[in-house]
Amino acid sequence: MILMHGEVIDSNVEQKYLEGLYEECAKTLVVKESISTECVIAACDQLYRAAMRGEYDEIALPLLQMANLTYERFLGLARLFSREELEYKCKTELGDWYGALPALKNGTVRKRYPLGVLFHIAAGNVDGLPAYSVIEGLLAGNVNILKLPTGDNGLSVRLLSELIRFEPKLKDYIYVFDVPSAETETLRVFAELADAVVVWGGDEAVAAARQLAGVNTKIIPWGHKLSFAYVTKRADEEALYGLARHICETNQVLCSSCQGIFLDTEDRETQERFGERFFELLKRANAELGKADIGMRGKNTLRLYTDSLEASDGRRILQEDGVSVVIQEDSELALSYLFRNVWIKRMPRQEIVERLKRHKGHLQTCGLLCGFEEKAELAALLGTAGVVRITGSEMSRMIPGEAHDGTYPLREYSRIVEID
Amino acid sequence: MSARTKLFKLKKPYDNGESDALFLKAMQENCAFQYENCSEYRKILDTKGFSPKDLKEYKDLEHLPFLPTLYFKHHAVFSMPQRRMLIKATSSGTSGQKSRMGYNFMSLYRGLRMILTLGKHHRLFSLKPVHYLILGYEPNKANKTVISKTSYGFTYFAPALSRDYALRYTKDGYKLDLDNLKEKLIKFSRQKHPVRTAGFPAYTYFLLKRMKEEGVRVTLPKGSVLTLGGGWKQFYAERVEKKEFYALANEVLGIEESNIIEFFGAAEHLVLYVDCKCHHFHVPVYSRVLIRDVDTLKPVPDGEIGLINLMTPEVDSVPILSIMTDDLGRLHREKCPCGVDAPWLEIIGRVGIRDIVTCAAGADKLLAGGDGK
Repeated sequence: MILMHGEVIDSNVEQKYLEGLYEECAKTLVVKESISTECVIAACDQLYRAAMRGEYDEIALPLLQMANLTYERFLGLARLFSREELEYKCKTELGDWYGALPALKNGTVRKRYPLGVLFHIAAGNVDGLPAYSVIEGLLAGNVNILKLPTGDNGLSVRLLSELIRFEPKLKDYIYVFDVPSAETETLRVFAELADAVVVWGGDEAVAAARQLAGVNTKIIPWGHKLSFAYVTKRADEEALYGLARHICETNQVLCSSCQGIFLDTEDRETQERFGERFFELLKRANAELGKADIGMRGKNTLRLYTDSLEASDGRRILQEDGVSVVIQEDSELALSYLFRNVWIKRMPRQEIVERLKRHKGHLQTCGLLCGFEEKAELAALLGTAGVVRITGSEMSRMIPGEAHDGTYPLREYSRIVEID
Repeated sequence: MSARTKLFKLKKPYDNGESDALFLKAMQENCAFQYENCSEYRKILDTKGFSPKDLKEYKDLEHLPFLPTLYFKHHAVFSMPQRRMLIKATSSGTSGQKSRMGYNFMSLYRGLRMILTLGKHHRLFSLKPVHYLILGYEPNKANKTVISKTSYGFTYFAPALSRDYALRYTKDGYKLDLDNLKEKLIKFSRQKHPVRTAGFPAYTYFLLKRMKEEGVRVTLPKGSVLTLGGGWKQFYAERVEKKEFYALANEVLGIEESNIIEFFGAAEHLVLYVDCKCHHFHVPVYSRVLIRDVDTLKPVPDGEIGLINLMTPEVDSVPILSIMTDDLGRLHREKCPCGVDAPWLEIIGRVGIRDIVTCAAGADKLLAGGDGK
């Protein structure tokens, strides 16, 4: 499927669509009708209002059901497209003068320009995220070429078509192509004409994007991340239960999902007692929320059983009702088996920076559960180690104005031009 | 003669009740043999606090520690010097990892006896020469998968006039060539010799679908048979209902549902499951199935879904007497209209394959497919 010049074409990408694409994009960037942040916000706001009126229910409801999300959550996500939220986002990311920057003290004029053309290589784990990536590109004034993820359900094209319906000026700023990742020649065409490649995906996807793009093309990776909780002995029961619920609710598949818990201790005995305690909380949350998918539980049970035949590294496995806690000897940050399987490791606070800093670029959220007086000290250590979001037990919360993996996308998608 | 060999010489392949005692005896023999000759196996039994002597009654089989197929993907374990293994093979490695297996003469002999008995029962043998179309790999020295060996073996059920393969071996590795098979089907439909196809259901389905889309309809000669085996593999998402599949085969090739036969087996469990005319996989005398709870691994009652634990005393050279597949299934004991009393196994699908994508770092490698953020 292709979306170009506001039209949906049901076809594979052919040479004729690629010829002259660079010239078209360049022309779009110089025409008088260049888009303003304001007109993008206005179109998004209309989209948001249509969503609130239930106009997208027929497409949204089945997706929500598949992802096990509530309608309230959908409305919460839709709110991210509202005028209020987007204006706040622009101000937070680009500063109060995002329309016009004040001159420097010598009188040099400063202007914010879009990078030009962004090539988005999108991921498929959150429905609508590819469209959101394009909207961020539009807010900064860029022409956007989007490569849909494999198995895309059509939601992104639908959202972007709606946006063009509300603001026809956007039609030359949005191109969507359904190209398989294996078609590197086509992807190279896009990467060559783009000023930046925005890549959503794991290390392999980022490495592939670097291969595609020339050295003078900026790579903006929104990559896979790892998140964890850090718990001290002063963490209260309610916060721990909140963490257990978070683990069950997200099934640990998000970047911000807790994979495991580091304990501020050197003592195995303390670790064992904590593991047993957290196991009870996890079982409680699991019972309240309902068990995970039978196939995922089966997979984890098999892996843990295989581990029990193989491992001799002092690990202890607590397992029941499809949830599991693995008390381990090492202090490595690692991915869990997902779907309600949590590791528990020791990491005294003085080791935080040294141990975690190795995972540069991969760290995201830390759910910090500790006493009030300890918080500033621990947050500073985690921040120094490379964590970019320090939360309580609600590790996957979304808030207006939040940075994206430690940086602001609209800044990444812009340039400052100085004119004497 | 060992109880193991006796079991595989039984004349009636689905007389399970009668064979329980012999099955137990054969398992006792095999378990003692593995314990004696495979140090890894012995260690596992010791860790689990189980001794081969604990296999006293038939019911004790459920306590025998099982080895997950996943374990064989991480470890090559053998109970005999490798020189005694006539055939070495691997699983097809859908998830990227392969089990390494090796089979000694007696194990293969038992397998052969089993195939002769099952082939007779299911009327797979024919003296009439046929054209074979294999929807799988062309044999090659580099391909050691069990599936490529079994699908080649399949071409000996009836004399072969020709053999064509969907996955042809070229200098650049295997290439999928469905067009050749399509042309052959059209050609053979105009001749008198029956056609037999074998291979992955997914490729068979893709071929039939393509022919339908192109408006190609043929009627294969009388006696033609479509056989399927090896699972849907990475094409799990394309899986279709059996009824739909049969209807498509009938429409495109003029094949009756009764001439579509499905097989089930695994590199780690060399018992051949052949579906009956009601398309049920009855458990043959050589094998026993336990369905285990996905959380507790305890056996569940008939009809409930769980992990499929397969047992057979067939093989000496590797400790695969009780293996845990990564498939979900359930066991039915309802009366089957085909007249066979043995329970039948319904395979529901691979664990962990669900339409999910994830963004936690590296998780895409853990879970099949999906490019996540």
